[in-house]
Order: sequence, then structure tokens, then C-alpha cells
Amino acid sequence: MPNAFDVSNPPFDRLTAEEAVAFRAALDVGYFKPGETIVAAGAAADSLFVVIKGAVEERDGEELVALLGPNDSFDTRAIVEGAAAHSFIAREETLAYLAPKDLTLRLMRENARFGSFFYLDISRKLEAVARSQEEARSGSLMRTRIGDLFLHPAVYIDASDTIEFAGRKMQEIDSNTLFVRDGARIGIVTGMNLSKAVVLNGMKIDAPIGPIARYDIVALDEDEFVFMALIEMTKSNKRRVAVTRRGAYVGILEDIDLLGFLAGNAQVIAGRIDRATSTADLRTAAREIADQIRVLRRQDVRVEVIAEIVSDLNRRLMARTFQLLAPESLRAQACLIVMGSEGRGEQTMRTDQDNGLILAGPVDPASLNAFRREFTAALEDYGFPPCPGDVMVRNPFWSKPLADYMESFRRWIALPDENAHMNVAIFYDAAPVAGRVELLHEAKRALIGAVRDERAYLARFAHAVEAFETPIGFFNNLIASEGGGALDLKKGGIFPIVHGVRSLALEHGLLETSTDERIGRLAEKGVFREDFARDLKQSFHYLLALRLDSQLEQEKDRGALVKPAELSSVERDLLRDAFKVVKTFREILRRHFNLGMF
Amino acid sequence: MFARRIKRLFHQISLGDQSYRFMFEPPPDDDVVAFDCETTGLDVAKDDIVTIAAVKIRGARILASERFEAVARPDARMSAEAIKVHRLREADVEGGKLIFKVLPDFLHFVRGRPLVGYYLEFDVAMVDKYLLQLKGIELPNPMIEVSQMYYERKYGDAPPGTAIDLSFKAIVSDLGIPMLDQHDAFNDAMMTAMMYVTLKDMKERGVRIARARDSVRAPHGFGA
Repeated sequence: MPNAFDVSNPPFDRLTAEEAVAFRAALDVGYFKPGETIVAAGAAADSLFVVIKGAVEERDGEELVALLGPNDSFDTRAIVEGAAAHSFIAREETLAYLAPKDLTLRLMRENARFGSFFYLDISRKLEAVARSQEEARSGSLMRTRIGDLFLHPAVYIDASDTIEFAGRKMQEIDSNTLFVRDGARIGIVTGMNLSKAVVLNGMKIDAPIGPIARYDIVALDEDEFVFMALIEMTKSNKRRVAVTRRGAYVGILEDIDLLGFLAGNAQVIAGRIDRATSTADLRTAAREIADQIRVLRRQDVRVEVIAEIVSDLNRRLMARTFQLLAPESLRAQACLIVMGSEGRGEQTMRTDQDNGLILAGPVDPASLNAFRREFTAALEDYGFPPCPGDVMVRNPFWSKPLADYMESFRRWIALPDENAHMNVAIFYDAAPVAGRVELLHEAKRALIGAVRDERAYLARFAHAVEAFETPIGFFNNLIASEGGGALDLKKGGIFPIVHGVRSLALEHGLLETSTDERIGRLAEKGVFREDFARDLKQSFHYLLALRLDSQLEQEKDRGALVKPAELSSVERDLLRDAFKVVKTFREILRRHFNLGMF
Repeated sequence: MFARRIKRLFHQISLGDQSYRFMFEPPPDDDVVAFDCETTGLDVAKDDIVTIAAVKIRGARILASERFEAVARPDARMSAEAIKVHRLREADVEGGKLIFKVLPDFLHFVRGRPLVGYYLEFDVAMVDKYLLQLKGIELPNPMIEVSQMYYERKYGDAPPGTAIDLSFKAIVSDLGIPMLDQHDAFNDAMMTAMMYVTLKDMKERGVRIARARDSVRAPHGFGA
């Protein structure tokens, strides 16, 4: 349709004005009735199709991999390679522009920018199908720069300073390496140099450092890639390289930190957290925790193990923050708790803070308020986004005496609106981090005692699993959402599992917080069969892994949304199996809690 | 209908220029032609065609790339009255940039194929006005009225008293067809063609258009 075709719609916006005129003039319009195959898998096509109205399903066999709507075009492979990878079927009454194959191919050849759009599209699809997961994950290793790693600070001493002074300095800055200024030249001295000088060569500790420093420094710019450091260390047989910025030394990269980046260095971070003497130290450690996730995933470490490591480090971080910021009186009187996914130990990528404080009794309001503010601000500073629902120590509702919590429980249960259900869910997942752990145990026992025999309450609580559909159809096909053909892993799979398991756990008065442990205990109690418990755990892990990979790939943009078209067929099979299990689980819940009555 | 058939026969016999016999012969294929005119007004007797556009429809495919589109310069001297008086001589003098030069191309494009349009009668009457003067005939083609097709799909089973809206806008919106810039003969012909292919298929499948009693439309404009 010469006049009406929208050339501002990519990739047609890359056509020149003349090309656009020719392209428009050549367009026909086709009508396709519901169920009609527009391009069959493996077939060639005479046209490129651009949807005007309606919806077209992109199918791989029975599997729906994408839903195309207005302005979407297909299928590049059918015109370039003469064989469509998938079939394209009209879902409803559909009108589409038909751009002649020959003209489209000519424009692709003559207009590189226009062409690249389609070739990229092909390569992206091929990659999604053939992608080796390993390769996708190791990508970041090749792109990470030295400046992104943990570096020890560049601290200088003078060549005339003593060995003892050097040793104390190293202790003070928690580093094994110092720069030594000897007139115009600069050298390096390490802890090992000091030990050898004193122990093996019998030097006195008040001897000057100058003679034992090494002046053949291996240095790399902070913009160099990490693998260059690895090569340099191997080549020169050094255990550290000096790092420069515009020629000046800015830090030291130790082999342990490099290896830590490559292999994960949870132990090292744990040590750093425990030795931290300020929230500034902790901020550095917090950044490293976040980096661990990518590193560990690259090693193909299973997502539940990553979650465990990350949760452990996060809790250490918060415990240390608590010790640093809370006044003595508060530390003896309070229990710091984490709730929600942090409490279950299932948080990998940071979502938001869910934390609180249980007090044994009244404390000095001024110091309590100061702590509330400082603690939440410190965590925010570490990179934990504030909780939109304000479930944070800062909020007095979530940092109050045990007796007040008990009062809240009574209210939540007596007036069970959506908010109250959420509060019960969040609190039931709480885990202690620091302070008087027994306060949380007491609170939880009270909460469980109040609800465990209340079947009507539990049913209403469990009912939230019905909030979202599991995106799997009658024939076990994946159902992508109308909009972008994406699946919501959280709503469709993760949430129903977590909340369903939580509801059953609450009913059985379990004190475990992680979904995995709860499933295990429920199976022991005979609520699930062993094999179903195993399926449920595996499905849960798979969904978490898929979500994590999706989050790592696009940082925080899309979160729990996954496009089936971007998955390999093996991944799609696994996803379908996982959703099937979720569907069965929901049926179990429906029967168990008699959810049909709502 | 009967009168039209008689007229057709009469024109076929009285056709002065036998080179236009093809208008009365069976069409060369199963295509139909959607067409639309833009005119200077709505009075067939006084107003003139400004643009005329037509597009062939082959099965479910609208052959927009082989469209017919022509602009006729409206000219004060070429009012219907003027044409009556000056007939062909005036057109010859003007060099055929006017409707009389355009029409033969249009007829060759359309041939005997069925015409598809929205309130087609008006467009056909406009063309006939000139055609009678030019060739002594009126368009003999079968006519397919999309508003009639729409009426059948939507109101065919409506209880008496149902409010009926056959406006172009209503059809476009019910069928989910994109609203192109109107008052462009080609865009109107395209939209009409899209209505035709959609309604034809709905008829074949026996699908009806939901009447929005509570003014709630089905998400995609279609319903059972």
C-alpha cells in the first residue's frame, strides 16, 4: 500500500527515500484466515510478510515460540535461505503486506544497514537454537577489564623505611604488597620478601626496605582485558601485577583475586566482610557479592547453590553492618531478620530489601531511630534497592517489640485482606541474621500457632496461587503473552510454587524457610509423594535458573520475562515440563484447600 | 436488477465503438476490482471526478502493486453541462488530460470484472455519466457492495429495531482494518478491498460480527 505503509517502523526506517518509494510501490496485501498456514516450516516464501492487523503464531512443531502482531515481519530465512525454520500460522483474521522477495533481497544487498537487520535476526535465531550455554556465559570473561576487578590499593613507602614499618603498613591496609619509592625509581615489596629477608637472610627488622624491594614491576593499564593479566602473570611467573591509569600506579591485582574472579571467591569475600571495620569496607564487599553471581553461573554452578552462597554472604554483610551500626544496648535487645526471598535464601540478583527488627522490649527511642535510618541507608548504599512496600528496618512497622508483632499477627489473621496475607507470607519466610535469634523463633511459633488449624484462613491464604495463569495450554504447549510473546516465569511458575509450598508449610507448622527444605519436609510428612517432591524441586530450580540467566543477560530490564523464541528447543522442552509440574501442583493445592469454593 | 440487465443488453447492442466489446465479455480471470472515485461533490449531475483508483483482488490477495490510479484535472469549462455541449471535441482540444482520456485506461484495467466498492452506486453513476457521453454505454460490470456484505454479517439476524450503522468508519473499526488517510481514492479503494477479503472469508466460514449491545467490542473486532 504505497501511501500507508509505515516506513518509520524498523528496519524500514533504514531505507533511503527512493528505496522507500520503490518498496512501497511493490507491496501487495494478503488476507489470511484463522488457522491458515502463511509460511510452512522448511518452505521458501515469495514475499516478506509485514503484519498489518491480526496475529500470527510462529510455531516450532506444536510449540508456540512467538506471537507476531502489527509491524512484525517474517520470515527472513524463508526468503534468504529458501527454508523457514518455523511455521507461521494466522491465529486470527490477519492482513499483511507482502513485499516481493526479489526486491527485498536486492534492498538487503544494496543497503547494508537494512540488510544487517535481517542477517542479525537470522544469526540471533540460529544462536538461540544452537547456542552453547557455556559460550554465552564465558563471554563476560573475555570482555571484563582489569579495572573491574578487586584491586589492592597502591600505597607507597620510602626505600629508607624499615622492614618493620612495611610489615605494619601491610597489616594496616590489609594488603600484601607495597610500592617502594627509591629516588626516581619505583619498586614493589611483598610480605613474602619481608619474611625471606628476616627469616632466611637474618636481616634486622629495623633495616631499610630499599635493598629487598624488586624494581622489575610488571604493570598493565586498568583498561586491559582480564585475560591479559592472566597471560602476564603466567609469562613472568609473578603472583601480582601493578595496575596503572594513565601511567600512574593505582592498584595491585593479586593472583588470588584474579583466580577469584575466574573461579568465584566466596571465601575471600566472607573474610573481607568479617574483617571490615566500616560500612565503606562493606560496600566494596557488597559489590563483589553481586559479581560472584555471574562468575558462579559461568562455572555452571547450580542456581540453588548460588542462591545459598549469595544468601550466606548477604546475611554476613547485614550481620556485620548490624554490629557496626547498632549500639550495644540494641544488639543485646534485638533480632535482625531478613524476610521474603532473602529469608528463604532464594535471592540471587538483588531485588529489594526485605528486612526488619524484633525487639525484646522497649529501647531508647533516639538510638533506635538513628539505627533504623542508618541501617537502611547503608544497605541502600551497598546496592540493595529500597523495598517499595517499605518492608525495611527503617519502617517502625517492621522494627518493633515482639509483643507488638504478636498484636499485628492477630490483626492480620482477623482481617485477612490482601495486604495482611502478604505480611503473613513475608514474615513466615523470615530468617534471623544477627542478635537474639530466639525472638524470631518465638514470634514464628506464635504466628504458626494462630493459623495452623484455621482451615478457612489457610484456604484464603493459599488462594493467591490462582492469581496468575500458568502459561501452558491444554496440549502442553507454551502460551506466550499477547504483547511481546514473552513468558512470565515468576507469575506463571515461581510464585505458584513458592506460595503453594509456603501455604502447605504454614499448615504443617514447619519452621524451615527455604522452598526446597519445605518441599522435603512436606514429602516426609506424606503431603507429597517422593517423586512429585523431586519433580517440584527440579522444576523450581529450572525456573530459577532460567530467570537468573535472563536477568544476567539483560541486567535488570526484563527480569522474569523469557521469550520462548530465544530459547533452544531443549530449553523449551524443559520449560514446558516445568510448567506441567506447576500445573499439577496447582491442581493438588486446589483440591487440598478446596479453592474451588472461591 | 432486471432493468439493469435489459440496459446492459441494450448497451451491448448499441455500443458504437466495438473495440469496447470486452466490457461485455466474460472477464479473463476470477479477479474482482475494488474502486473508488474522489469527486468535487456528491451531486452526480453537477460534480466531477477528481481522482479514480482501482485495485485488483485475486483470491485473498490485494494486488496493490498493480493498481490503477489517475488524476483528472477538474476544470470549470469541463463541467457536466460543458461536456454535454462540447462532447468529445473539447476533450480532444484539451489533449486528453481530463476524464475522457482517463476512462479508456480505466476500462481496460477493469474489463468485465465485478466491481467492489462502498456505496458503489455513486461511483458507478459518476463514471457512467462520462461513459454514456464517451461510448454510449454504462458500466455493465456486476457490482459487489461491501456495506451489504457487512450488513449481512452483522445485522442479518438482528431483531427488528436494532440500530444499524453502516458507516465506513464502523466497518473499518469492526473489522480492525487500519484507518488510512481518507479522501484519497487509492487509500479508500485499499480499505474497501481489505473489507472485501475479510468479509468474504467470514461469509465462507459462517462467522458473524458481534453486535456490541453494551458497546463492548470483542478485543479484535471479531466475535461469533
